[in-house]
Amino acid sequence: MKKFVLLLTLLLAVSFLAGCNGTKTLQMLWWSDGTEGTVMQELLDEYEVETGVIIELVPIAYNDYEARLATMISGGEAPALARVTEGHLNNFQDKILSLEGVYDETGFTNLFFNSDGDVISLPMDITANGLFVNMDLLDEYYVDYPTGDDDVWTWTEFETEMSKLDGDNVAAPGLYDHQGHRFMSVIYQAGITVWDEAYTTSNLKSAAAQGAVQRMMDFYDDGFLGSDTYITKDSASLFKTGTYGFHFSGNWNVSNYSSADLNFEWAVLPMPEGVTRGTILGGKSLAAFDDSGMEKEAKAFIEWMSEGEQHDQYTGGVPYLTPRLGATVDYGDFADQYAVFLDEIAATDASYVQDWLDMVMIPGMYPLINDFAEAVALNPNNKTALQLLTDLETALKAVAPTE
Amino acid sequence: MKKAQIYHYILAIILIVFFLGPVIYIIFSSFKPSSELFSASPTFFPRSFTLDSYVEAFKKGNFLTYIGNSFIVAISSTALAVVINTMSGYALAKFKFKGDAFIMMIILSTIMLPLEVIMVPIFSVLKTLGMYNSLLALIIPAAATPTGIFLMRQYLVTIPDDIIQSARIDGASEWKIFTRIIVPNAKPAIATLAIFSFMWRWNDYIWPLIAISSPKKYTLQLAIANMSGQYGSDYSSILATSAISMIPMLVVFLVFQKQFVQGTVNSGMKG
Repeated sequence: MKKFVLLLTLLLAVSFLAGCNGTKTLQMLWWSDGTEGTVMQELLDEYEVETGVIIELVPIAYNDYEARLATMISGGEAPALARVTEGHLNNFQDKILSLEGVYDETGFTNLFFNSDGDVISLPMDITANGLFVNMDLLDEYYVDYPTGDDDVWTWTEFETEMSKLDGDNVAAPGLYDHQGHRFMSVIYQAGITVWDEAYTTSNLKSAAAQGAVQRMMDFYDDGFLGSDTYITKDSASLFKTGTYGFHFSGNWNVSNYSSADLNFEWAVLPMPEGVTRGTILGGKSLAAFDDSGMEKEAKAFIEWMSEGEQHDQYTGGVPYLTPRLGATVDYGDFADQYAVFLDEIAATDASYVQDWLDMVMIPGMYPLINDFAEAVALNPNNKTALQLLTDLETALKAVAPTE
Repeated sequence: MKKAQIYHYILAIILIVFFLGPVIYIIFSSFKPSSELFSASPTFFPRSFTLDSYVEAFKKGNFLTYIGNSFIVAISSTALAVVINTMSGYALAKFKFKGDAFIMMIILSTIMLPLEVIMVPIFSVLKTLGMYNSLLALIIPAAATPTGIFLMRQYLVTIPDDIIQSARIDGASEWKIFTRIIVPNAKPAIATLAIFSFMWRWNDYIWPLIAISSPKKYTLQLAIANMSGQYGSDYSSILATSAISMIPMLVVFLVFQKQFVQGTVNSGMKG
């Protein structure tokens, strides 16, 4: 009994000591999809050597990220810094520090402003929707695909060619990511913006939008697009099986597929053109939080991170598209793939980019477009394209900002 | 062999395949290369055996630290839970005092409260006590559980009162009665409680997610969850680390399985 009590006391002492905090450090909440965490850790190590300030990278699973952030803030333990999406910036903007005067925001794109017009984030990377293809399957089934600089499929040509993918080794011609962020590209490719006048009148019920949505509904009904993506919610893993000819996704999968040691050859090709070409930009940013007790140190790190050398080290190291204007990032082995994404961005009209920024400002927008995309794919209530678009418009207007 | 026995064996084999099949599939898949993981025709056994998933998983994070933290939390928490729940169960089983039934009812009624309801007040208490981001935040709240108290109480009720009365007549102190009579006789129930407590703490995810903010204090379950990003998951590493995380539970159960079965049976008997 005495030995047991002694052992228990020792264990509790170890746990208590393990909880003792020594030097005060900043915490940076983070999630990774590939090498982001590793590259950021290298930068944090450099920062520590340069300034003596320790920043601890705290990895959190993405699905629990927002809940964890909310708990930390409401519990009075706000992190000094955090990697954030546009959704996080929208939801937590009252708790995020203004970065006015911290860095030169004119040198960046993909900025996020709070309701006072202050910039509240440092853009770290840009993502763009795009098209991955399984070259082995395309060659096996003699699919004609774009090869030149200005060579782009129309949607009709795309469907005709990819429909050739029909055999025992093909589960379905292709996949479309389940997220609404990917789906909404088809709206812009139809030559329209979502909003005619932001949050007041929309183009969602137009003939062009209905046509784009109906085409997608037909794709799912005909089995042209695999609906397994809505079962697994992980179409990248499905694409990795090598039984799908194409995958509409985004540039984050470049490093994902490269590191996955796939047993087939893949490539990035331009997305089909509707009335026009169009991709949707996304991206992650760095934000500093109020009430962390480390506000000054957090801003100092953001200023350091905004400098060309550090910022390019991050975007080139992962790699990601850079939001830093005028920067030339060496994408190394991924140069060809990123050239296609850069071309997609260049071909996207500025009005679509602004329209998407208006969408991002709508609190709770992402779940609405996710539900919309799923309804188009699975259509459990047998609604028409117009009905689905009307539902989306109603839902967006209900939560859109009024000022 | 009688017909009934044959049917029992067939049923047992079906249940084993049903419940153990996915577990064994995880273990075998952890030895497959990533290209085979995503093969269109999945196989049960690896076509090419490799330890790459394990090597990659250990390269990515401080897995020895995470495993160590999980062990500290699970063992400390289990030890504390055994002591406190056994004492509480003994008091409620063998001591008659005013309000004992009411207290038992209050304790049992807390089983109905999901963790999400009590998480915020527990978090506030831990933060006030300075335990936030400490392994103690994972150990202390689990020290007394209504399930553990109920389990011990139900088992200890079956111990005859005469033994305890005889010891008192012989002049034994209450502490001696507890340590020399109650605890040795309660070994099956204690083993059951120890297994459950270890399993709950080893597999715990939600509470460490809330209470721990520093990666140096992450438990293994937190580390495994972090292998899932926004756009996809590192399935190779998840499989390897999940296979590793099963080992301590397997060892604990194998060591205590005899007492576990005995305890499960006896704690169901009426006092």
